[in-house]
Parts: sequence; structure tokens; C-alpha cells
Amino acid sequence: MLKNRRFILAGALALAGICLGAVLAHAEPEKKTDLKPEPKKLTGAELYAMNCNRCHPERYATEFTTAQWQTIMLHMRVRANLPAAQAKQILKFLKEDAGN
Amino acid sequence: MKFSSFVLSVAVAGCAFGVALTPHAAAMISDDDFNALKSMVTNDNQRVSQLEKLHEQDQQTHQQDQQTIQHLEQQLGETQTLATNAEQKAEAAASKIQPANPIMNALHNFTMVGDAEVQFGQAKGQHGTFSLADFAPIFLFRANDNILFEAGFDVTLQNNTDPTTGNPNGGSSTVVSMSFGQLDYLLNDYVTIVAGYMVLPLGTYSERAAGWLNKIPDDPLPVDFLPGAGVGAQLRGAVPVGMSGQMLTYSAYGVNGPSSVDGTANAGSLDLGGNVGDSPNLNGNPSGGGRVGWFYPWKAHYDLELGVSGQTGTWAENKLWSALVVDAAIHISPYVEVKGEYINTWEQTDNAGNIQPAGWWLQASYKLAGLNLDAPIVNDLELVERYDTANDAMGSTTDRFTTGFVYYLTNTLLLEGDYEWFKNRGLNANELPSSQFVVQLSYGF
Repeated sequence: MLKNRRFILAGALALAGICLGAVLAHAEPEKKTDLKPEPKKLTGAELYAMNCNRCHPERYATEFTTAQWQTIMLHMRVRANLPAAQAKQILKFLKEDAGN
Repeated sequence: MKFSSFVLSVAVAGCAFGVALTPHAAAMISDDDFNALKSMVTNDNQRVSQLEKLHEQDQQTHQQDQQTIQHLEQQLGETQTLATNAEQKAEAAASKIQPANPIMNALHNFTMVGDAEVQFGQAKGQHGTFSLADFAPIFLFRANDNILFEAGFDVTLQNNTDPTTGNPNGGSSTVVSMSFGQLDYLLNDYVTIVAGYMVLPLGTYSERAAGWLNKIPDDPLPVDFLPGAGVGAQLRGAVPVGMSGQMLTYSAYGVNGPSSVDGTANAGSLDLGGNVGDSPNLNGNPSGGGRVGWFYPWKAHYDLELGVSGQTGTWAENKLWSALVVDAAIHISPYVEVKGEYINTWEQTDNAGNIQPAGWWLQASYKLAGLNLDAPIVNDLELVERYDTANDAMGSTTDRFTTGFVYYLTNTLLLEGDYEWFKNRGLNANELPSSQFVVQLSYGF
């Protein structure tokens, strides 16, 4: 009786081992990701906070009209030496809430 | 014994027979009940058949709805593509359209900004006085998105004085001076051409020193060793580095440069504000200069800026005048700012050899809103400290410590006050006060 039990147990273990081996053999290797997350493009609001508070207290968008902001931002782009893309992004942000 | 076994066997058989028969007996039902059951099953079958037909119809309707939805989605996609194409065509057409009347656009795109300051000050040993420190309008004319003409003026009141004695002789005068007048042309995303009477990028103080921008009413002492503006031409621009807001800035310029107040190359004759072209250029050679800067923000309100700038050229009788400025500014949170400049100049002279007027200044400020006390007056208060020193290389050195405050009545209406202690050594030891206080109301518009 004991011999039979031992035989059955050994058989079950052997079967389990075979199954596990089959699973591992077919499992896909873990993919290595060297990809860094893409840097997020700064919004107009973020660029405004970064650049427009360095030298003077912030001016609120509602203080000037859209046309005035276009003129003022041209002046600030030259005076503060802002990159073109950043200046355009800031202008777009200010125009959204410009005064009438 | 045999009889008992027999009886027992018969009893068991009997019990078994009875058990087997009992379910059969219990299963017998009446004809009425059977017919009722049969009728119920028949009805249920009819109902199931009807439901199956309805389900089939529903499936057909569902299939038709799916086909309609697919067709509508296809039409939507085509419509969106048409709309996008139309928008792109409209943008391309708008960018090609020239202004019908450039003159009208220039007048339409006129804006005036600027600032004004009123001061009250008292130096130790003297009486206090109010003064209209400055009315500084800046006129901006935008011809189009690439062309801007800008001009700034300083309008101040002065007591009339006797030109010989320097004593007041009654009345006052309005003095109007141009602080800059330049044409800006944006050649492309990286190059802007500037020409005219330009604010010079020697350090950053001159370019960022409008009255309402300064947290202390008066300028740092060594800034007097530099020309604030010059007549000439300049290329300037900025190159973004990555997408985090980091940038490299540059400017390169040529100007008439400094000259001499009396035509000599003696120490003390240097004229930093003259030589603007309406009289013969005394030195005959223009000066050149420039600045390179690096701005690194690690997030909004946390940034570092470093810059190196300089200018060199002749000022009189082929004598050289040069300047080197190293500037730095750091912001740590919206509340803390530290900035400063180191200024060194070299001046070749006839009577004193090569002299080096030099100095530096360091300013730190803290907005009390950073304490999160949620108190209305405290939240609008900023404390400012500055140390500056200047050695004119002609026998005078001045050190100054300033402590002050800025109270923000609004974002552009500032009440500033400061107390200044001077330590004067050398020839001007008795010319400057030992201390003074200044209160200024400054408005930016």
C-alpha cells in the first residue's frame, strides 16, 4: 500500500514538473525597455510662469487686448531674448484670456 | 432455526417488494391533471415559437442599425478630413496675404507702456524732499509680426541751477531724455536685427532696470561704470535647448562707443553717454561687444541664469576702454530671488596709465507670502537686501548696504522703501552721505 502511494505521488510530481517545464519553455522573455518617457512639451501657461515672472510681477492677460499683447510680446521677445517658439506659445496663452 | 431463517427471508422480500411498488403507486395521476399539463406545455411551446420569431426580427433590425452606424462613421471621417484640409488651406492663404495698407496697420498696432515714480528721500544731515523721480513712457509701433519700432523716454523735473555756481536760481525745468530708440526686425526664429539707440546687453541690469522693475529705488553703484545704451546695430536671439524651457541666448553688437568729454584721454574725461553721432566721432573707431547667457529652469519659479558680457573699443586718442560683466540670477520658489553682477572695466589713460574701475553687487529678496501666514498685508510684502561696492580707480571707494521692502498694492503699483548705509573711503569720503532713506511709489503700465 505504501509502495503504491509512493508510486502515485512520484508520478504526480513528475507530471507537474513536465507541465511547468513546458510553460517556462514557451514563455516570452521580458522585454527590455530602454525608451525614456517622451519629455512633455511645456504649455503656454508653464512658459509664462517660467519667463514672465523673473524680472517683473506678472501681468494678467486681461490687462491688455489681443492686439496689444501681440505688440507687447514682440517687445518682450526682443528685450528678454525669448526663443521664437516659446514667445508664440506665451502669446497664444495670453490671447485666450485677453481683455476686450 | 431453518423456519426462522425462512420467515426472515420472506419478511425481507416482502419489504423489498413494497418499497419497489411505492413510487409506481405515487406516480399515477388523473386524466384531468394530465390534460391540463398537456395544454400548458402546448401553450408554452407556442409562446417560445413567437419569442423566437421576435428575436429573429430584432436581430435583423440590429444588423440594419449597425450598417447605418458604419455608414455614418464613414461620412463623419470624410467630413473631418474635409474640414482639416479646409482649415489648412485657410491658414496657408492667410499667411500669404499682405496687409492691404501697412500705414494703417502701424497706427493700429500702437501701444504705450512704461512706468512712473514719485519719491521722498532724506540723506543724513540734509532736509527731506519730494521729487517726481521719473515718468518713463515706452512707445511701441508694430508694423507686422516681424517689425517693431520701440522708443523709451525719461521725463524728469529738475530745479533750475546756476551753471557756474550750481546753486538754485529759481524755477524748475522739465528734462526729457531718450533712454532708447531702436528698430527690431525678426529675421527668423533665431536672429533678430536691432538698430538705433539700443539698450546694451552689458550684464542684465540695464535691460531689466525700468523703475517699477527695481526692488530698490536706486541703481547699484558699479553700474555707473558701464554705458547703458549706445548707437549702433546688434544681432541677438535665443536657442532653446530641449523642451524643458532651457535656452542659450546671445547678442553681438557694434556701437560708436564711449568718447571723451573734453577731447583728452585723461582719467576722469571718459564720456560713457555721449558719442551718439551728431558730432564727429572723437575716436574714429567703433566699439564691439556682446553677451552669451544660459538659462536653466528645473521647473516654474525655480531657475538659474548665468551670463558673460563685454565690450571693447577706443574712447579717445586711440586709447582703449573695455568692460567685462559676469551676471547671475537664481530663483528658488516664487518667493526667493538672489541676483548680482561683477563689473570690471579697463581704461587706458594719458595721465594715470591703465586704470580699472570695478565693483560688484549682490541682492537678495524674499516674499513673505512664502511663510503661508495667510495675512493680507504680510502676503503682499517683500523684503530686500543689497550690498554693492564700487572702486573708481581714481582714489574713491564706496561700499553700501541697503535694507528695504516692497509692498505690492497691486501687481504693478509698488510702494518701496529702503535705508542705506554708506562707507566712503578716499577722495569722496566727505561727498556722499553716511546714510539715507528713500520711499518710492512706483507704477508700471
